[in-house]
Formats: sequence, structure tokens, C-alpha cells
Amino acid sequence: MATGIAKSVTESEDLRDPAYLKIRDVIYQVSGIYQPEEKLYLLASRCARRISAVGAKSPAEYLEHLTVRGNREAELRLLLNEITIGETYMFRSPPQLEALRKVILPQIIKAKSAMGFKRLHIWSAGCSTGEEPYTLAMFLLEESEKMLAGWTCDILATDLNDRSLNAAKAGIYGEYALRSTTEPLRKKYFKPYDDKQLQVTDQLKSVIRFDRVNLNDDSKMTFLKGMDLIFCCNVLIYFDLGSKRKVMQHFYSNLLPGGYLFLGHAESLYQVDNRFHLMHFPGAIGYWKPPVGYTGGGKL
Amino acid sequence: MNARRLEEIRPRIAALEAMPAVPAIVLPLTAILQSPPDQVDVEKVVELVSYDGTIAAHCLRMANSPLFGRRNTETVRSAIFALGLKRIEAILLGCCLNRIVPSDKWAFDPVTFWRHSLGCALVSRKMARLIGYPDPEKAYLAGLLHDIGMLVNTLAYTEDYRRCVQAARDGHVALHRSEEEHLGFTHCHSGKMLAEHWHFTADVTEVVEFHHEVGAATSAGPLVALVHLSDLLCRLRDLGYGYYEAMGVDLAGESAWARLVEHYPSLANMDLARLTMDIDGSMDEIVAIVDAVFKP
Repeated sequence: MATGIAKSVTESEDLRDPAYLKIRDVIYQVSGIYQPEEKLYLLASRCARRISAVGAKSPAEYLEHLTVRGNREAELRLLLNEITIGETYMFRSPPQLEALRKVILPQIIKAKSAMGFKRLHIWSAGCSTGEEPYTLAMFLLEESEKMLAGWTCDILATDLNDRSLNAAKAGIYGEYALRSTTEPLRKKYFKPYDDKQLQVTDQLKSVIRFDRVNLNDDSKMTFLKGMDLIFCCNVLIYFDLGSKRKVMQHFYSNLLPGGYLFLGHAESLYQVDNRFHLMHFPGAIGYWKPPVGYTGGGKL
Repeated sequence: MNARRLEEIRPRIAALEAMPAVPAIVLPLTAILQSPPDQVDVEKVVELVSYDGTIAAHCLRMANSPLFGRRNTETVRSAIFALGLKRIEAILLGCCLNRIVPSDKWAFDPVTFWRHSLGCALVSRKMARLIGYPDPEKAYLAGLLHDIGMLVNTLAYTEDYRRCVQAARDGHVALHRSEEEHLGFTHCHSGKMLAEHWHFTADVTEVVEFHHEVGAATSAGPLVALVHLSDLLCRLRDLGYGYYEAMGVDLAGESAWARLVEHYPSLANMDLARLTMDIDGSMDEIVAIVDAVFKP
């Protein structure tokens, strides 16, 4: 029975089931993760496992598990886990790094140089097992002899989960995490660990400071000031609206004017925060804290 | 762009041998594009498609492609029903306009050009519907034709234009900026001349002329602003001119945005991130339609 449903949702007939659009909308409303209509088949395949796990007979019945049943919050969390599974590997979003290299860093460097500052602070908030901060560290080291020559750069990588943090600190990765990491970068920033895994070099680790931070902990959040860039991918999706708004207020004050916040590629801040400006870059979007005196005017 | 420079280029464009009268089926086609979907004369579309063997073949191939479930579509009529009128129209117009430029004259990849044009058409229509713009089909047409001046530039200034496109590519700058620098005018100016030559309606002509200079638009301000924003969104979502344009855009801070909000206040609440993700979702279809026309 369950297998039958799992199989059938991949067929186009079932994709027309309006329940999937409703499931999509529930997910968007609660987590900010959005799936365009043309990509509903991805959502359907992610739902399939949960549909069979709860024994629902149809997507419509599964929708009830997400909306009216007593365990809806737990179920939604389990579904979000399915949706974001496999999201973490190094160099996950090349357009984001391209935007950093070609648009954002030149802009930040220009503004800070004019004030005599040559320090860059990046925060990977919810760094999980470290793929994101190590990607950023490689990016910074590669740029350290180009546009960041003479600059001091550091990355703060935080997570709530001690086990994730320990894995991040150890920096041991297999083929999945490294699938988009080029051979020259592997040679430069990794050393062999065992037959199947590589470990990051001390040089790469030295760029990053790991710490345990709960994004809901006001006292700790208040002290994290002076950030140029914050990356927070697929973390806020598990927060309720009130907590999301509070975290966004913190992020806004954690960032320097002119700084940027990046979320996961399918995440949106719509109706969560209206102080950040949604900025479009080729293939990537980011949220900008404009400098004092910015009155609009479009392009950078 | 001064008036004298414009007058200098006018004879050069008018004298183009390759700029003949408007292709025979473009005018009836644009008329169809602008009628409300429920009033479209399907028989007329069947007739137009059947009129041209190449176009009919493109439609059949598209209808039989994996994107549309590989049906066994054998007639033009069933292809039209399988694809829907809008896709047929995009294929038709793409084919017609493509024939204007001989293959050895293109200064850039024609596939890239048509993906951008079709992408802009679809996004313009989508945005028009979202904000309650009264004529989404007009927005579609204006989006499809807004860059038509690039065809003029590639025909009339082939070698100069190749250098201009290469400079834009190397410098990661917008094409119209590179045109200003290397040609002294932009595709907006040359496009306006073609639009007038082909008797486009006044509002579509304004879009062609002012989509990079929204503040200068007069009577068709909202339509020009709409296409300007769609054009930007497409260039930001891998439907641009085929190279990296180094830009960060605060769409809601654009003057075009402010102009549109004046007329359509609901735009102020639009979920732009979601619209962006929807555009990404439409990519496969846009690529499939354009490939149906251009890939052998």
C-alpha cells in the first residue's frame, strides 16, 4: 500500500492533485521555503516518504497531517527535514560566490577602505557540519592575494548542535560533501584522512572560529556585532514567525550598514522582515542592510 | 544620445537590404497575441501555422517533445491543442523574426537572444497578472519585442556590434552601456526605428525605445516600467545575454518600481523572492520552446 503511493506520486497524474499546491503553500507559509509549480514533482517525491510513513492514502490526507492533526508541528518538521536533506555540500551555490566576488566584496572593500578599515567579518549562523564555513574560508583564502590583499578576514561558524559542531571542527569529509570541490582546491586545502575521506588543513581551519550559539539566545546574539556578511541557510525554516522576526532583528543589528544576509536558495523573508532590502544578483538573492542615507535608486 | 546622432543612423538603418517589409505573418500574429485568450480565432492560428512548412514542423516537434509527454501528434491542429496558443505564438514569432537575420550575421548566440525575449514576455505577463495590469497579453507582446533593436544592430553594424558585445562580456557590463560607448547609440534607438518602420502600436514602440530609460516614457509609462523590471529579472535569473553582468539590484528601490506602484498599489506587497523562484521554475519550458525553434 505505502509503496504504491510512493511510486504513484512520481507520476504526472498525481502531480495535478491540488493537495500538492496546498502542501506547498503550507510549507511556504510556515517555513518560507518555496517550490515553484513547475517543480512540484520534487516536492511530491520528498513527500512520498512521509506519506508512506504516516500511512496516508492520498496527498490530501497527508495535508491533514500537516494542518489539522495533533502532531502537525512534528510532522511538518519531519517533512522539512526531507526537503532540505542533501542541501549541504561545499560550493553548493556558485552564483552566490560569484556575486560575492564580482559585486558584493568590491562594494564592501570600497566602502570600508574609504574609512580606513581593512577587516572583514563573516558569520555562518547554523553552520551544521561545516561545509558552508569551509567553502567561505577557501573563497577568502583564494581572494587573499587578489582583491583581499592586505585584509584581515575571519569567519565565525556557529551551531546549536554540539555533535554538528564537533564534526565541523574535525573537518573530515567524504565524496558527497566534496562533489563540487575542484581538484586544485582539494589538493590545496585538504589532506588524506582515510581511503574515502579528506580532512581540511590547519590553514583552512585557522580562518574559522567555531562556537555554540542558540539564535534564540538574546544575550549572546546581542554581542555579535560588526558583521559584513551573515549566512543562515535552512535554519530559520524551523522557527515560528515570532522567533524568526526576533532573529531577523538581531541579524539586522549584528550586520554593519552595507552588509548582507544570505538564506537558503529556496527561502524567502516575505512578511518576516521589512527592513532588509531584497537584492538580486545574477542567479542569487540576498538581503541587504543599506548604509545610512540610502534612499533607493536601484543598482549597485 | 543626441538627436543628431540619431539622424545619422537613421538612413543607415533604412537602407538595410536585409530590413524588408514586416514578415507577412507578423502583423496578423501580433493581432492574435493581443486579443483576449477566449476570443482567439483558433482556425486562423491553424492557418498561419500551416502556411509555413518550417514553422509547422517546429510546432510538431515541440508537441512531441518530452516536456509535453511525447504524444503522437501528427497534425498542426492537434499540435496547437497540445501546446496551447501562447506557445505556438512564441514559436511563430521567433521563427519569423529569426529569419530577418542571416545566420552569419549574428553578433551573439540567437538562442540566447530568444530565450531572453521569451523569458521577458512570460515574466511580463506573469507580473501583469499579479498586479492587475489590464492587458497581460500586451505585456507579453511588449516583453517579446522589447530588444528588437539588437536585430537591427547586428544587421546594420555587424562587426562593430560583435566588438561591442565582446566588450560587454569582458567587462561584465550591461549591453546597452557597451552600445552607448562603442556605437554611440543603443538598441533602444535603433529598435524604435524598426518599430516605427513596422508600424508597431505606440505603446509597444515606447517599450522598445524606453525600457532602459523608464523616466522618459510618456503615455505608456506603466507598460514600459513593467517590461523594464521583467527584463532586469530575466537578466538576473540566467535568461540574460549569455554572460555575467556584475550587478546587484534592489528592484523595489528602482524608479520603475515606484512608477508602477503609483498605478498598481498592490505591487508594493508583491512577494518578489517568490516571483523570482517562479521564474526559475519556468526555465525548462522557456528553454524547450526556444530550442524547438533553433535546435536542428
